[in-house]
Amino acid sequence: MKTIVQVTATLALAAGAASAQEVRVYNWSDYIDEELLTKFEEETGIDLIYDVFDSNEVLETKMLAGGSGYDVVVPTGTFLQRQIQAGAFQKLDKSKLPNLDNMWDVIEERTAVYDPGNEYSINYMWGTTGIGADVNKVTDILGEDAPLDSLDLIFDPENMEQLAECGVMFLDAPTEMIPAALTYAGLDPDRKDEEALAKAEEILMAVRPHVQKFHSSEYINALANGDICVAFGWSGDILQARDRAAEAENGVEVVYNAPSEGALMWFDQMAIPVDAPNPEAAHTFLNFMMDAQNMAQATNYVYFANGNLASQEFLNEDVIGDTAIYPSPAALQNLYTVTPFPPREQRDLTRMWTRVKSGT
Amino acid sequence: MSGDGLDTRHRGEALRKAVLIAVPYLWLVALFLVPFFIVLKISLSDIALARPPYMPQLDLSAGLAGLRDFFAGLDFENFVFLTEDSLYWKAYLSSLQIAAVSTIITLLVGYPIAYGMARAAPEWRPTLLMLVILPFWTSFLIRVYSWMGILSNEGTLNSVLLWLGVIDVPLQIMNTNIAVYIGVVYTYLPFMILPIYATLDKMDSSLLEAAEDLGCSRTEAFWLVTLPLSKGGIIAGCFLVFIPTIGEFVIPTLLGGSDTLMIGKVLWEEFFSNRDWPVASAVAVVLLMILIIPIVLFQRNEQKQREAEG
Amino acid sequence: MAQTVFAPWEDPEEKPLIEFRNVTKRFGEFVAIDDLSLAIYSKEFFALLGPSGCGKTTMMRMLAGFEDPSEGAILLDGRDISGVPPNRRAVNMMFQSYALFPHLSVWDNIAFGLKREGQPKDKIAARVDEMLRLTRLNKFATRKPHQISGGQRQRVALARSLAKAPKLLLLDEPLGALDRKLREETQFELMDIQEKTGTTFVIVTHDQEEAMTVASRVAVMDEGRIVQVATPSVIYEAPISVYVADFIGDVNLVRGTARARPETPSVAAEAVAGPTAPEPAAAAAVAPNLAAPEQTASERSAAEAALPVDPRAPQPNALGEWLHDKVLFPILGRRKPQQKLLPAPSPQERATSDRPQTAPPRDAAQAKPAPAHADDPDALAGGGIVIDWAEGQPPVIATNGDAALDGKPVVLALRPEKVSIGKAALDMPNTLRGKVIDIAYLGNISTYHVQLADGSMIKAQTANTRRLSRRDITWEDEVWVGFSATAGVVLEE
Repeated sequence: MKTIVQVTATLALAAGAASAQEVRVYNWSDYIDEELLTKFEEETGIDLIYDVFDSNEVLETKMLAGGSGYDVVVPTGTFLQRQIQAGAFQKLDKSKLPNLDNMWDVIEERTAVYDPGNEYSINYMWGTTGIGADVNKVTDILGEDAPLDSLDLIFDPENMEQLAECGVMFLDAPTEMIPAALTYAGLDPDRKDEEALAKAEEILMAVRPHVQKFHSSEYINALANGDICVAFGWSGDILQARDRAAEAENGVEVVYNAPSEGALMWFDQMAIPVDAPNPEAAHTFLNFMMDAQNMAQATNYVYFANGNLASQEFLNEDVIGDTAIYPSPAALQNLYTVTPFPPREQRDLTRMWTRVKSGT
Repeated sequence: MSGDGLDTRHRGEALRKAVLIAVPYLWLVALFLVPFFIVLKISLSDIALARPPYMPQLDLSAGLAGLRDFFAGLDFENFVFLTEDSLYWKAYLSSLQIAAVSTIITLLVGYPIAYGMARAAPEWRPTLLMLVILPFWTSFLIRVYSWMGILSNEGTLNSVLLWLGVIDVPLQIMNTNIAVYIGVVYTYLPFMILPIYATLDKMDSSLLEAAEDLGCSRTEAFWLVTLPLSKGGIIAGCFLVFIPTIGEFVIPTLLGGSDTLMIGKVLWEEFFSNRDWPVASAVAVVLLMILIIPIVLFQRNEQKQREAEG
Repeated sequence: MAQTVFAPWEDPEEKPLIEFRNVTKRFGEFVAIDDLSLAIYSKEFFALLGPSGCGKTTMMRMLAGFEDPSEGAILLDGRDISGVPPNRRAVNMMFQSYALFPHLSVWDNIAFGLKREGQPKDKIAARVDEMLRLTRLNKFATRKPHQISGGQRQRVALARSLAKAPKLLLLDEPLGALDRKLREETQFELMDIQEKTGTTFVIVTHDQEEAMTVASRVAVMDEGRIVQVATPSVIYEAPISVYVADFIGDVNLVRGTARARPETPSVAAEAVAGPTAPEPAAAAAVAPNLAAPEQTASERSAAEAALPVDPRAPQPNALGEWLHDKVLFPILGRRKPQQKLLPAPSPQERATSDRPQTAPPRDAAQAKPAPAHADDPDALAGGGIVIDWAEGQPPVIATNGDAALDGKPVVLALRPEKVSIGKAALDMPNTLRGKVIDIAYLGNISTYHVQLADGSMIKAQTANTRRLSRRDITWEDEVWVGFSATAGVVLEE
């Protein structure tokens, strides 16, 4: 595995000398079964250089600066949309992607919001943003009827004040947190007007003193170790925390719930940068990943749902049967998507977000 | 004829000198001035949804007109913006405060260590010096991460304290400013110890004997002789800690909580979260301007130090 | 009767200011000071002299309070000061490096100790100004130490250590950092200040010239022990061991076996019978042998009596002084203070400086002043020893040698200035032939390195009273060297 996962620096140095035998993939950390990487190399004879990031922002900065040297990257839907507008990606040559037939139309419909016609990207994984909780600690504090599946748990200051004792973390991502706050207020989660933002800020400000940290990846370990008892984060991450805690047998029992008030649905999309050194191999990689068995292997490993219908027959029962991963068709109706912020609103949004985080 | 030869030799000498002097200047220009002007230029631009995400771009193919358009597109809007939002000056002030407090703590921790090293038996000193430098052999990130393991609620420190019965509930240190101070003090301690050690080590031990001989107790001798004489090292150490701490990003991000407001984090946010390279660049330019003051003071102190020794 | 001679160590009534009583100092296994006893008296200028590592600095540091003795006691004014920290001792020290505080001005450096005493400001200012005047530093009061010269720094250090008017001032190689000319000037300045302030000075030095110049008494140290304590002149003229002889000044060491020399009664009787005869007195003065106290009292009184007769006659040696003070002063009265005077030239020296070295012996005989006949073979005293020291070389006669040394290995320590050199045979009891190998010309004197037939070297020194052109001994010249029967000091090996 060491030969595949290499550091960025090596990659950047080698970027200029890309040959037909190499493909460079930039994906989220902890987001693939590494056996798939070896399998790809064995099947295609192409050297795979696999690099990871843990925030859309880092990826986006690389995309906007250009010359990243990557052939395949995996931004989240909202970020993808803006990057397409900035001209960061090339259109897919669908003739080279016969496995497109395996894709799930329900998901394609939704991703078309960000990538009209799905011309630039294919779905890798999707999931919801919701509440992870250490059941024992939370029920100790709030009682047996603690609202584990409700936004009340994290946006009601009374609950939060008590939970602060055992630790709460929020995602450091305004595009995730604000729609949730708007949902809690009973507003349209996709609203971007000043009034709606002010309302969201008010809700967030009321609970922020009780938030130990805003961070987009630390909560996995923190939740699994018992350092915190509640996290508002991504479904797959919280399920990973659940499994790590179970493995560690440290008495921490994590559950994930998409908020009953409505949950944000997000999509991580594979796309090819406009300046990819080896788009040919990039297409080969995408097609490989769209293979039903390969995609099933990936999902079985990371506990995120995928947008590949054909893969579902190869999924483990504890994955396809877990409504935290694959919600029931009814629950699917309760999931919403949001669109990206235009530049000016984006600035107001992040300014507001800094205020929320720093309390100033 | 001989005069000609002499002249040539002189010219050769002058050329060699010029080349030698040029090396540091080229270094400065290539690695400081050029990047600075790029940042300055971005700070005068406007945000855009493009690659790279700001306007205007210099279009050399358009010739002189392109150059004119380029300069016409630059303005100080971003700097004005910085003054309008209280976030920025609060972040600057908070950074200065955190840096100042960290520097004082580092001094209070570092001075006794440096003092102990300088007073240690000579055969021990290289070992002690090595121990101070040793942490540099490990990646800075790994060291900060290990502090997360020590300070977290379920971490080593809390476990030990709980086991000892000193506390009943875990101390919330991780993700607070206390953790940031611990991280900064730990990380920059060698930068404080080394210059102070250098001045103390250089100090003639007979000065202390002279002070005692003239009626000082050991404590008085420390305050009247040792401390004033290590002033140079203290000032150098303080600047070496203070200046980088102001712009520190990694430590507040990893160890700090949501309350920790530092300009390094704000800068990161502008750059990455907002994709607002122009404002991020303006923040960086202002940060540099703020840092120039202590840097100039530091240089002056160094110069005075050299003069005093010369 | 008022005591005018400064020699408190001669007076059994006098209480020492400092007393080392069987002091031993160990650093781990290393013995720095080995069961040492010593008394230093008030107002003395006492020098501890020895090579580096002899323990002299340890002695000083024990006095200052930076080290405590491992065994024994150090008394200051009769009180044991072991365990008293440096800041509570009425002792100040001037450090070898001067240890001036670089962050303080000259004025503040001098005031440093006074301020610690918590004296009122005007008193401090007055005392500092007094010190500045004493050391002629008024102009530099506001300067920092790095802004003044080495000599000025030395004076600041002195002023600072004197400011508190200590009972005892310790000086650790005080002049080591100065160049030669400045050092000589400063030596006299030190003596002057010591006299003016009346402070007891203890100086540590490895420079024997410095010790000889400034000190009232010198203690020569070796490996943690004191080898000899005496006035500079006694140390020089009457070293009690080869070590002292060799350490102080330049010396020829002639090693050999002693053989008792027959008494020549006529000469000895003449010496005893003629109390006013200058020869034996001069001989005794030049090279007294402390190990040979068999001289009669009349001889001694003759020596003493000879003094007032001729003001240019040799000065009393330690033995003579002792004799005078213990035995004769009730009759003769106190001696006049002559402490700081170097001994007058010995007849040998006078002889060598009064005539050209190269002059034929008969000229020398003519030029010789009448009383200086000690080296005249006719006046050669009986007794003493001869030393067989090399195959093929005549034995050396030393009338001041103890006949009891017969058969024992001895060393004759012979100062080069007491060795004459000439191109012709010299009219002296001891003459040796050799060849000039090297000449060290020092301006006022020249030292000739003469190689004898057996290869051994001997150094002869002459004062260059004549202009260069008149001196004709040069390299490779065959020469005679000679010295009187009392010129050397016989030391047991």
